[in-house]
Amino acid sequence: MLNLAVTLAFTLLGVALLLTGWRLWYGPTTPDRILALDTLYLNAVALLVLTGIRFASALYFEAALFIALLGFISTVALCRFVQRGQLFE
Amino acid sequence: MLLFIALIPLLGALLPLWAGGRRGRDVSVWTTAAVTAASLALLLWLSPVVFDGVVLQANWPWLPQLGLNFTFRLDGLALLFGLLITGIGLLVILYARYYLAERDDLGRFYALLLLFMGAMLGMVLADNLLLLLLFWELTSLSSFLLIGYWHSRADARQGARMALTVTAAGGLALLAGFLLLGHIAGSFELSTVLAAGETVKNHPGYPVMLMLILLGAFTKSAQFPFHFWLPHAMAAPTPVSAYLHSATMVKAGVFLLARLFPVLADTDLWFYLVGGTGLITLLFAAYAALFQHDLKGLLAYSTISHLGLITLLLGLSTPLAVVAGVFHIINHAVFKASLFMAAGIIDHETGCRDMRKLNGLFKYIPWTATLAMTAAAAMAGVPLLNGFLSKEMFFAQTVYQAAAGGEVHWLLPLLATVAGIFSVAYSARFIHDVFFNGEPINLPRLPHEPPPYLRAPVEVLVAICLLVGIAPAYTVGPLLAIAATSVVGGPLPPYSLAIWHGFNLPLLMSSLALIGGALMYWQRRRLFRLGDRYPPPDGKALFERGLNLGIAATRRLTEGLENGSLQRYLALLIGVALVAGVAGAWQGGELTGDQPLPPVDLLSLLAALLLVLTTGLTMLWHRQRLTAIILLGGVGLIVVLAFIRFSSPDLALTQLTVEVVTTVLLLLALRYLPSDALPESMPSRRLRDAGLAILAGIGVAALTWGGLTRPLQPELAEYFLATSLPGGGGANVVNVILVDFRGFDTLGEATVLVIAALGITALLTGGFPLPIRSSPRVVSIEERWPLLLRMGARPLLALTLLLAAYIFLRGHHLPGGGFIAGLMTALALATQYLAGDFRWTTAQLNLDYQRLMGGGLALIGFTGLVSALFGYPFLTSAFTHAHLPIFGDFEIASAMAFDLGVYLVVVGAVMRILLELGQANAEENGWKP
Amino acid sequence: MEALIAGVIGLLTTAGVYLLLRGHTFSVALGLALLSYAVNLFLLAMGRLTLNRPPILGSGQTDYADPVPQALVLTAIVIGFAMTAFLIALALRTRYETGSDQVDGVETTDPAPDP
Repeated sequence: MLNLAVTLAFTLLGVALLLTGWRLWYGPTTPDRILALDTLYLNAVALLVLTGIRFASALYFEAALFIALLGFISTVALCRFVQRGQLFE
Repeated sequence: MLLFIALIPLLGALLPLWAGGRRGRDVSVWTTAAVTAASLALLLWLSPVVFDGVVLQANWPWLPQLGLNFTFRLDGLALLFGLLITGIGLLVILYARYYLAERDDLGRFYALLLLFMGAMLGMVLADNLLLLLLFWELTSLSSFLLIGYWHSRADARQGARMALTVTAAGGLALLAGFLLLGHIAGSFELSTVLAAGETVKNHPGYPVMLMLILLGAFTKSAQFPFHFWLPHAMAAPTPVSAYLHSATMVKAGVFLLARLFPVLADTDLWFYLVGGTGLITLLFAAYAALFQHDLKGLLAYSTISHLGLITLLLGLSTPLAVVAGVFHIINHAVFKASLFMAAGIIDHETGCRDMRKLNGLFKYIPWTATLAMTAAAAMAGVPLLNGFLSKEMFFAQTVYQAAAGGEVHWLLPLLATVAGIFSVAYSARFIHDVFFNGEPINLPRLPHEPPPYLRAPVEVLVAICLLVGIAPAYTVGPLLAIAATSVVGGPLPPYSLAIWHGFNLPLLMSSLALIGGALMYWQRRRLFRLGDRYPPPDGKALFERGLNLGIAATRRLTEGLENGSLQRYLALLIGVALVAGVAGAWQGGELTGDQPLPPVDLLSLLAALLLVLTTGLTMLWHRQRLTAIILLGGVGLIVVLAFIRFSSPDLALTQLTVEVVTTVLLLLALRYLPSDALPESMPSRRLRDAGLAILAGIGVAALTWGGLTRPLQPELAEYFLATSLPGGGGANVVNVILVDFRGFDTLGEATVLVIAALGITALLTGGFPLPIRSSPRVVSIEERWPLLLRMGARPLLALTLLLAAYIFLRGHHLPGGGFIAGLMTALALATQYLAGDFRWTTAQLNLDYQRLMGGGLALIGFTGLVSALFGYPFLTSAFTHAHLPIFGDFEIASAMAFDLGVYLVVVGAVMRILLELGQANAEENGWKP
Repeated sequence: MEALIAGVIGLLTTAGVYLLLRGHTFSVALGLALLSYAVNLFLLAMGRLTLNRPPILGSGQTDYADPVPQALVLTAIVIGFAMTAFLIALALRTRYETGSDQVDGVETTDPAPDP
């Protein structure tokens, strides 16, 4: 049962990755691309969690945690630049 | 003991500088003379053993891997040259004291002279080809300085430069020749090389090697056609000329021929090359000497001519010719040194060296004139003087060759007689033109007898001329015998040193030369007219033209390659790397190894596809800079995923944090760089670059493929995996390698980081560009610090710091460590600056990042020194297990302190870099640091 | 899998080299970043591709990934960051000194339209 769920999740994640890639490519505006990058980070988190379940390893969860925590900072920096034109005020 | 003979003058060269500057002239003369006398005394002290036929050797290894050793040998040849160098050197020192004017820096002169003397001694005593070459080049250098001693004079500078160029070029050829010789003989030690004569002569590389070595010897000894530097070196002070061009510098070339005689000589090639060059030089220079009007110019060409004679004798290769050659080396050194000194006295007393003006000086300086005339007679080969003996032996050898060598060689005695006639003629000119022949014309001043000390060296030398000339067997005989023995490398045939050998062909030739020379001088007016119409060719103009051509060509080449465009350099660099790679691949070999390969899974394929997409878009859209940064973030993320996939969690964590820091950094810089740049290069240029890039990509891909399809050598990995836990006390092998096994490398890397941060500070202090006003604000908001962001960032700091502490502490056993924790902390701190008021945040955090990274580096160094304190090598780590009530088993490792240092360095450097750029951001809003 | 990695590294190199050869300093910084990805992946790959066996001892396994390239790459990542930062600082200083963001310090805008 779990196996089936994991396989299904992998498949859907693959589709999500493709769609994110398309958004990154197509845009059309910069905020679209920033969001796409953020989504890519989320996808990566999901990917790692799933891999962790598949291989029954705790190592992947940690990595997922980090990506979730730090990916956010780069989104913040990008948003600030887009909105204010500078990072530090 | 042997080492000191050369070492004393080399080290003693410092003394006259010290004495000259502080104590005055006399002290510097006496120190110099004492240093020289010490070397001479050492030589004399060692000489009795050498006279018994023993070869003294001394050996200190220097770079034995390269075959370069401090090995010295003292045999007959080295002893002879050593005595000439130190003996005549001592006289020159005395002479120079009274010759050089008050305003000349005597200390510098003596220092250079001693340097040169030490180099010469080292060269003649060296028992290693490479060591010999080292001293050889040192003589070139120091003679350059000596010739250019009066460096305010243009002719001195030019002459010195020419001498250096010619002799150093020869030295380069000599180096190549020596390397070949050492390769053929199997060793650079002379003792071995000298014994390998047969092997060397039968080797196919012999002709090339011989020519290279001869090139070195001929340039040094001013043989035709490289003779032209010597007359121009006459711009040197006369003591230098007397020293360099009689006993030392130019004799180095013939010394080398004599030294390598057992290995190289006695082949047809040697006979024709050495003998031919010697003969041409002998004749040409004797002819040219006759037409010189400058006193020193005449002596210079006669020196070349006599060197040619010695070279010719060595070229003839018979043992008796060698004896004659060595004998002439001694005789020429003695009479030529005294002649130069006499010429120097005349120049010193009259201020003129032109033989058309110098006339009838005999009645003003009768004693000096007598000495000079005696020496000149020795040069001409007049009986009862030393020059006669060796010249007669030379004539005898030519006759012997003619008798033994068939039809062609009858020319040899004839040409030898012609050369003798010229030599007598120019000697007669030296005597008659200067000391008789009417009255002096328009001299700057009329001469008086010089001070006795200026004349004393000449007196000594002329006395030697006479003594050797009258009783050769009792004076110079033994020295000549051992010197010639060591040149020939075996017992000498019987010969007799005597004035009278009865009526024979050589005596006839000598008489012919004397009479013919006198006749020729008598008819000199006619000859001079001829000489004016067909002047001997001047090598200088040719040399200058060649030099200028060479300089122009290299300049064109440099300007062609180096046009100041960094883009072009980089393209060239990559192009050359590609060519090298292709050349390597051309050698053949299988690209694909035999390692079985696992299949690819769909998810990896998908990730790779995404990577291809993001990379490609970054490349294509690199001019839309903000988009490019976003895409680069995508590339980085997928690389992080790849690291996780391929079992490197440490790398993934590091890459992830660096990725975010880089994004922040690029965004900070973007404000000061134009955002949407125009294409800056022509389509053709872009096509070229794309071609280069694709080729580079294919090359790297092929390399990766080749590597991945071959099995790994597992020794190194197994070593680290096995010793990590027992040796370093950590389960995370990557971290243990970083902080323990290769701690010294990590120290270096931490230092690089600190240097980069400091460099960036230095670059940006006081030199910040103006911001781009048109920077894109796609969705502008007016709120400076959004509430949600501000409030959200603060707990994030606490959370991230906690996480960083955790990551840091466990780093020795699980993924983590100082690098990652440091980067995370830096990110958490940067977020605070991002989210809130820069001024407020700076005040609240109140951290001096520069001090932080300095402290970190100091901590790393300190950790290393502690282990040194306990007698272990630098950076040895130690660890122990402690038990704490609440925390349980706890491990304390010195590597922990090391890692803390790394942590501090990373935090400090990254924050320093970010804030250096961010500060300007904040300053725009009126913030002052 | 190996072919995939080789191809990806090749592509990263191509993109990196192409951008390095551009005239604008910013493009060069981008190119350098891409090239360091390529180099880091290459170094890691030279320890061979090992799935799911990180070199953390004692997790009940017997064979591990090669730790040596990993240690090399870890410091290379940090140094790579320092290098990029230095390049950026150099670019800013160049713009301050010459008023241009070109590598060679001159504005050579091509009138030809962007293809």
